[in-house]
Amino acid sequence: MLVGGPFFGAAAVALAFLALPVVAIFTRVPPGRLARLLSNPVVTDALVVSFKTTAIAQALILLFGTPLAYLLASRRFPGRTLLVTVVELPLVLPPAVAGLGLLAAFGRFGLLGSTDRALGIDVAFTQTAVVLAVAFVASPLYIRTAIAAFEGVDADLVAASRTLGAGSTRTFFRVVLPLARNGLAAGEALAFARGLGEFGATIMFAGSLQGVTQTLPLAIYAAFSLDFDVALAMGALLVVVSAVLLVTLRLILSWQPSRRTSRSLVAPSS
Amino acid sequence: MRVVVAALLLSGLLVSGAAGQSTTYHPTVYAAASLTDAFPKIAPRARFSFAGSDTLAAQIRQGAPAGVFASANTRLPLGLYRDHFCSKPVVFTRNALVLIVPASNPARIHGVYDLRRSGIKLVIAAQSVPVGAYTRQVLKNLKLSGVLRNVVSQESDVREVLAKVALGQADAGFVYSTDSRTVAGKVKTIRLPARAQPNVQYGICVVSASGHKAAAHAFVKNVLGARGQRILRRYGFLPRVEPKH
Repeated sequence: MLVGGPFFGAAAVALAFLALPVVAIFTRVPPGRLARLLSNPVVTDALVVSFKTTAIAQALILLFGTPLAYLLASRRFPGRTLLVTVVELPLVLPPAVAGLGLLAAFGRFGLLGSTDRALGIDVAFTQTAVVLAVAFVASPLYIRTAIAAFEGVDADLVAASRTLGAGSTRTFFRVVLPLARNGLAAGEALAFARGLGEFGATIMFAGSLQGVTQTLPLAIYAAFSLDFDVALAMGALLVVVSAVLLVTLRLILSWQPSRRTSRSLVAPSS
Repeated sequence: MRVVVAALLLSGLLVSGAAGQSTTYHPTVYAAASLTDAFPKIAPRARFSFAGSDTLAAQIRQGAPAGVFASANTRLPLGLYRDHFCSKPVVFTRNALVLIVPASNPARIHGVYDLRRSGIKLVIAAQSVPVGAYTRQVLKNLKLSGVLRNVVSQESDVREVLAKVALGQADAGFVYSTDSRTVAGKVKTIRLPARAQPNVQYGICVVSASGHKAAAHAFVKNVLGARGQRILRRYGFLPRVEPKH
């Protein structure tokens, strides 16, 4: 036998440790009261703010992140590794540092603060600030996965498309994008989940106001000292949403018209 | 289950091993964020957790290992006392509210009545935080509750209000006079009419579940003693008993 009792014991510890906090949330929220707790205006407002800001952030991430990921995946140039590092850095940055950085860059007295004022833009304490915070912390997850997906696209197919007379734009939309589709969707699901859970950068950069900037995680933090049951109910809600996202991700990955794309997903881009 | 408990014990062992053993016990003090500067001067070796008093009270209700609870009001410790979470609280100091604006004063606010102008970004603490409740009381006393529509963020403790104004991110905020002194030069302090001032009393109590009651009681005694009171006064806190008029 390759592994013995202690091995299984250690595995059981790891499993129980990861499952227990999630299970505990549900054991402390009576399902009968869940519906009533979730109809609390604090909760519904937070839900609306969370989904609205996350959706806008995701649209921006797709719009700006996809071209960046494609260029980083298809070109080889000096300093590329440095650029990839810059793109991936927010992923490992502590959220509090992300919040400080956003304040230093886009705050009223930040680097772009005077430019913003000249343009009559003031993002302080607005939903725009929440969107910026979410986009900053979540986009690296998408871009990173998208780079891997684009790198997994068979270069011969791209070359064939070009030989057959398709321009580079046409090739991108008709060949590359459909082949990388699964990888991009997976990256998007990851970024969505990360964006929905964003806390630290948001509370520092955008503040917290019910119905405006108070997202679900911020509302949970506020409810913790006011009404523990409401906090638990919102926690349960986020657990369910996150689980649905994760299952969606698994489904996307197991669906495979383009085998090479999905396989290369897990490996970080070189 | 047994193996999970064993793993918990193991992690506890590793952590306490890493932290090193000390022979004398120092109290763990959960204190209102406004006490961040003064309290460590009273007991430099104590361990502190500074946050909004409401957050700290909620943590104590969830079994946090606090020895002492020092709150920026008396309502929260009295609530804990009623539910047998701590000893009967005593008032140990008082404070006053002020309005602060960034040193550059971008919204040109010179008095509390200027807050009525629309478009001002006012930051206050949440209702559940003591300073948030006092702020609403001040505005009510001045018949200015309408300015609440200018509130752009409700923070979870007074120091977060202070930070957002000192940074210039917000146009104005309400904090304790003791807080505004800690960022002198970064904010301008605007005093409030005396008739608007709420009665800001700080309550302190010994947490019932505390393992080392003697250390906790000694800390409370220190705070109430002449030296503790002198240090609090130096940081701008008011005498614990209101002087007779």
